[in-house]
Amino acid sequence: MSGENQELQNSESGEIARLLSYVALLAASVGLFLEARSIPTSRFEALGAGAFPMLVHGALILLLIGAIIGSLCSIPAAAYPRFARTVPLWARERRLVLFMFLCLLGYMATLPVMGYAITTLIFLLVLLLTLSPRTKSAIALSVVLALVFSYGLNWLFAELFNVFLPRGR
Amino acid sequence: MDAFLMGAAEVLSLTTLTMMFFGAIAGIVSAAIPGFTVTMAIVLTLPLTFALPPLQGVAVMLSVYVGGYTGGLISAALLGIPGTPSALATTFDAYPMARKGQPGRALSLGVWASFFGTLISTLVLIVAAPPLAIFAVRLGPWEYFSLIVFALTIVASLVGHSLQRGLIAALIGLAIATIGADPMMGRPRFDMGIDALRAGLPFLVVLIGIYAISQLASEVEDPNSIKRGEKLVKGEIKFDNFAVMREVLMRPVNLIRSSMVGVAVGALPGAGGSIANLIAYDQAKRASKTPEEFGKGTPEGVIASEAGNSATAGGGMIPMISLGIPGSAVDAILLAALMVHGISIGPRLIMDNPDLVYGMFIAMAVSSLMMLVVCLVSMRAFLRVAEVPKWVIVPVVLVCCIVGTFALNNRITDLYLLLAIGVVGYALKALDYPLAPLVLAVILGPIAETNLRRALMTQDDWTLFFTRPVSLIFLVAALLSIAWAVRGILKSRANAGSQPTDVKDT
Repeated sequence: MSGENQELQNSESGEIARLLSYVALLAASVGLFLEARSIPTSRFEALGAGAFPMLVHGALILLLIGAIIGSLCSIPAAAYPRFARTVPLWARERRLVLFMFLCLLGYMATLPVMGYAITTLIFLLVLLLTLSPRTKSAIALSVVLALVFSYGLNWLFAELFNVFLPRGR
Repeated sequence: MDAFLMGAAEVLSLTTLTMMFFGAIAGIVSAAIPGFTVTMAIVLTLPLTFALPPLQGVAVMLSVYVGGYTGGLISAALLGIPGTPSALATTFDAYPMARKGQPGRALSLGVWASFFGTLISTLVLIVAAPPLAIFAVRLGPWEYFSLIVFALTIVASLVGHSLQRGLIAALIGLAIATIGADPMMGRPRFDMGIDALRAGLPFLVVLIGIYAISQLASEVEDPNSIKRGEKLVKGEIKFDNFAVMREVLMRPVNLIRSSMVGVAVGALPGAGGSIANLIAYDQAKRASKTPEEFGKGTPEGVIASEAGNSATAGGGMIPMISLGIPGSAVDAILLAALMVHGISIGPRLIMDNPDLVYGMFIAMAVSSLMMLVVCLVSMRAFLRVAEVPKWVIVPVVLVCCIVGTFALNNRITDLYLLLAIGVVGYALKALDYPLAPLVLAVILGPIAETNLRRALMTQDDWTLFFTRPVSLIFLVAALLSIAWAVRGILKSRANAGSQPTDVKDT
């Protein structure tokens, strides 16, 4: 019974999260629809550059309004306080995902400055050592992989494919 | 005939064959790893083909494509986890067969069914693509626009758990496609003053971000399994002999029917192997004298699913070659590979570059043969690669995605877009939005807009979309696909109400 309850709560939380996504998408879509309206039409054609985006966002707005109404009807009022409690739990369970995206952000920020080889070496070492089990062989393998996919790949692309990865400043 | 011989000479050269051989291995290995889809393998292959001549590059990608469709069955058969979405129905019977102590038979059945499925689809491709191309050049912008509407509605209605979210995802994709200069007059739109958005979002960056980054993020969701050094695929594998070939050939009706389903579904723009294997499985079950055996390890089910998904490779190339419309995300990348080489895509492709098109046909057949040889000879060795732990696969593939994205345009700003799109893709995936309609809409959006505006420039009359017969057929088909999906949802709800435990039948 408790398992069924948990499943129901997860499903409710998922529906609330989707409801929030519908609202966010609706806000963005309305904004872009209004911006599309302000694009001047061309004298050479019946439709201007704004017509197709208006068509797309118009349809999206209608669908999202329908989805919001559907969600509001299906979610019980008691589910909202429960949702607030599940969000931190959800984030904690996905801490590695968040860490991975943070690493990627740092990688992208330093890549133009430090260049591909050294940035990738550090990025791979950090990520591999974080994700790997704490054993000597795993650490050794991490170092080898980091070297191969940073300096090795850099060499391969430059020598074999004539594609030069970022060199840094 | 000259064009055919020229194409054959290039494909059958030692250099091309060697590269195709490695491509087939790459496709099988990558698809054997759950979460690493054929699309991702092709995306990673793309930058490697930039330096090659067009046909050679496409031939290598086709070998990855054909190999990938087969590789997905490995983890599907051994663990019940589809290596790729196109191997979903394979799990229904190959996995129970493996659990009953016949893993080698399950794998062999899948490999042979894939081989014959690809061959049949190549034959259909050779016969169907040229006449369809001649028909396609007569289509106007009205028909093209309606065709894209049909393609988007069918993919939105068939993929994922919700028609509504499928349609929303497709419209989000179309909205993304409107960012940047408009395709007719070049007027800037929605770039928010950001330089990287001025030229629009490159669809390959969207593809890698949406599919690859979000999938890799999903793989590290469970910290405990990662820290334990959990492998993607585990288990002892025995790979059986050629005797299974006869078992496959003894079921010609199932093989041909499933392959034709694969070709037909593959030929519909937006559909693909992930849908074809389910429809082929469903048809085989309906036609079987012993439908109750399905789901318990019957060879009929394995053959239907694998022949069905492999045949989509040839089917997907029919609209790609004859109409210039990608049948799936993978076909879209093949199109991109041709465009990188400056080859114009569309109905005139087969007329302007017949050697290239015939070369692609030959490459399909050669790829299927290579896939067979590689699978039969080296299956055990591949399975060692499939046992690589997640903590190794995720960071390494992430770096490959980054390098692949950078190599597209040599622009670091593309990497920023990749990260942003990856985060959005992960969020959408977590919220259970189907990603396939979104990506296909990004690809088809500019084509739809160009044809809509061109149609109304030619004649300022909206009714032509409904009065021109072919255009009307596509629009009616689009409506029917939505109606069919709504009917399916209502039916499955009714069934769920009466038979709550029987999930597979719904």
